Amino acid sequence: MAEILKNRQLQIIVMLLSFLFVFLPYFLNVPQLNTASTKLITITSIVTAFTVALAVLAQFRRGINIINRRSRGWYFKAYMLMTLVLMLGFSLISRETGPYHWVMFAVVNPLSSVNYGILAFYMASTAARAFRARNTKALLLLLSGFIVLIYQAPLTGAYFTGFEPIALYLGSTFGLAAGRMFLISVTVGAIVFGVRVIMGNEPSVLGLSKEE
Amino acid sequence: MMMAKDSGGILKWMAEYDRRYVYLVLFLVMVGPLLRPIGMPISVSPDTVQYYNVLQQVQPGDKVFFTLNTEFSGYNEIQSGIIATMRVLVEKHARIAFGVAHVEATVIPELIVKAVQAEMTANDYQYGRDYIILGYIFPNEAAVAAGAQDFHGVVTQDWLGRPIAGTFLDEIDDWEDWDLIADFTTGIATSFLINHYALRGTPMIMNCIGIMIASEKPYVDSGVLLGLLQSMRGGAELEFLIGRPGPGLTAMDGFSFGHYALIIFILIGNVGYFGYTRQQQMRVDREAK
Repeated sequence: MAEILKNRQLQIIVMLLSFLFVFLPYFLNVPQLNTASTKLITITSIVTAFTVALAVLAQFRRGINIINRRSRGWYFKAYMLMTLVLMLGFSLISRETGPYHWVMFAVVNPLSSVNYGILAFYMASTAARAFRARNTKALLLLLSGFIVLIYQAPLTGAYFTGFEPIALYLGSTFGLAAGRMFLISVTVGAIVFGVRVIMGNEPSVLGLSKEE
Repeated sequence: MMMAKDSGGILKWMAEYDRRYVYLVLFLVMVGPLLRPIGMPISVSPDTVQYYNVLQQVQPGDKVFFTLNTEFSGYNEIQSGIIATMRVLVEKHARIAFGVAHVEATVIPELIVKAVQAEMTANDYQYGRDYIILGYIFPNEAAVAAGAQDFHGVVTQDWLGRPIAGTFLDEIDDWEDWDLIADFTTGIATSFLINHYALRGTPMIMNCIGIMIASEKPYVDSGVLLGLLQSMRGGAELEFLIGRPGPGLTAMDGFSFGHYALIIFILIGNVGYFGYTRQQQMRVDREAK
C-alpha cells in the first residue's frame, strides 16, 4: 500500500484532479462540482491549519536538540521555547484580560512598533545618500523622486498646487505601467509554475527529488 | 562626524555626510511637531476623495468585512485610516465583522473599538447584533478561499470561542453576501482577498502602507478595488474629510517636515557630489599642466 501511495504518477494524478476540482467551477456552473470544490477547499484549509501545530512541534524538537548540545546561542532557543509555552498557557487562561493581554500590549506592541519605526531612519538615510545624479538615468530618477517626495508632503499641496498634476501624472503613467507590468509578470510566472507542477516537472512540490 | 580635514573641505563633507546627521535631524523634525502639533494645512488627494465617496454610499445594515492584514508595527502607520473608516461605518450603522490575518492583530480590534467607543455607544452598537470580532481567520489562502465559498464551513466561533450562530453573520453564506470589504493591510492576506472576493465582485476598499501603493494602484485603475487610502497620509486626509481629527492629522506636521528634511539632504548630497567631483577634476587638470 505504501508503495502505491508513494507512486509519483499517482501523486501527480491526485494533484491534477484536485486542481481541476477547484479550477473548473470558475468556468462551469455545475452544482455538484461546486459543492465538491467547496468541500475540498474547506478540508485543505483545516489541514493547513494543523501545519501550525506541526511547526510548533518541529521547533520544539530542533530547540531541545540545540539546548541539549549546548550549541552557540542555545539560551536564545531556551528563551524562545519558554515564551512559546508561556504564551500558549496564558492564551488558554484568558485573552481579554490577564497575562496574555498584558504581554500583547506591554511587550509585543512596543517591540513590534519600535522595530518598524526605526526603519524610517534607515530608509531616509539610504534614500538621501543613494539619490545622486551620477548619470542621465539617475538624474531622471532623482527628478521623479524629488517631485513625488515634495508632493507627498501634505503641506505642499496646500500652498504649491503646481506639483500635484506632475506627481499624479508620473504615478498614473510610469508608476502604474510599472505596477501593472510587475503584477502581470508575477501572474504569468505563477501560471507557468502551475502548468509545470501539473505536468510533473516540479517534483519538489510533492516532496520528491528529481531522481525519485 | 567631523568635517573632513583634507582638501575636499565643505564640498566633500556635503557629498559624504555622516548618516547620523540624517537620523538626528529626522528625529528632531518629526518628534518636535508630534509633541507640539502646529496644525498646518494639508491637501486632499483624489484617491482619498474616491475612498471617502465609497464610504458615503454605505447603507444602514450593510454587512462590512473589516479585515486587518497587519501586525502592531503596520497598525501604527495605518491606524488613522482604520479608526476614521470605523467612525464612518459606525455612524452609517453598518454591521461589522472583524477578521485578522496575523496573530498580533487578534487584539487590535479591541484598540479600534476603544477608539470609537463614543460613536458606538451613541449608535447603540451591540456585540453580535451590530459587530463581531472573529479573530485569526485568515492563516493562509486556503482559509480565505474556503470562507469565500462556504463561510460557516470554516468560521463557527468568534475569537473567544463563542458561537457565531444567532449573530448577523447568519446572513453570510459566501462572498456575494458581503456588502463591502474594508481591508487594512501590510500585505499579508490581501492578495487572497482580492483573488477570492474582489475579483468575483465583492466591493472592496483598501488602506495600505506606503510601500504597497504602487503595487495596489493597478487594482483601483481596473475597478477591482473601489478605493485606495494611501498610508498614514490618506488616513489623515480622511480624518480631515469627515471632520474628526485623530492620530493622522496630528502626525502630518512631522510628516511634512520629515519629507522636506529628506529633500534638503538629497540636495546637499548632490551639490556636494558635483562640487567635489568638479574640484577633484580641476586639481587633476592643474597637476597635469
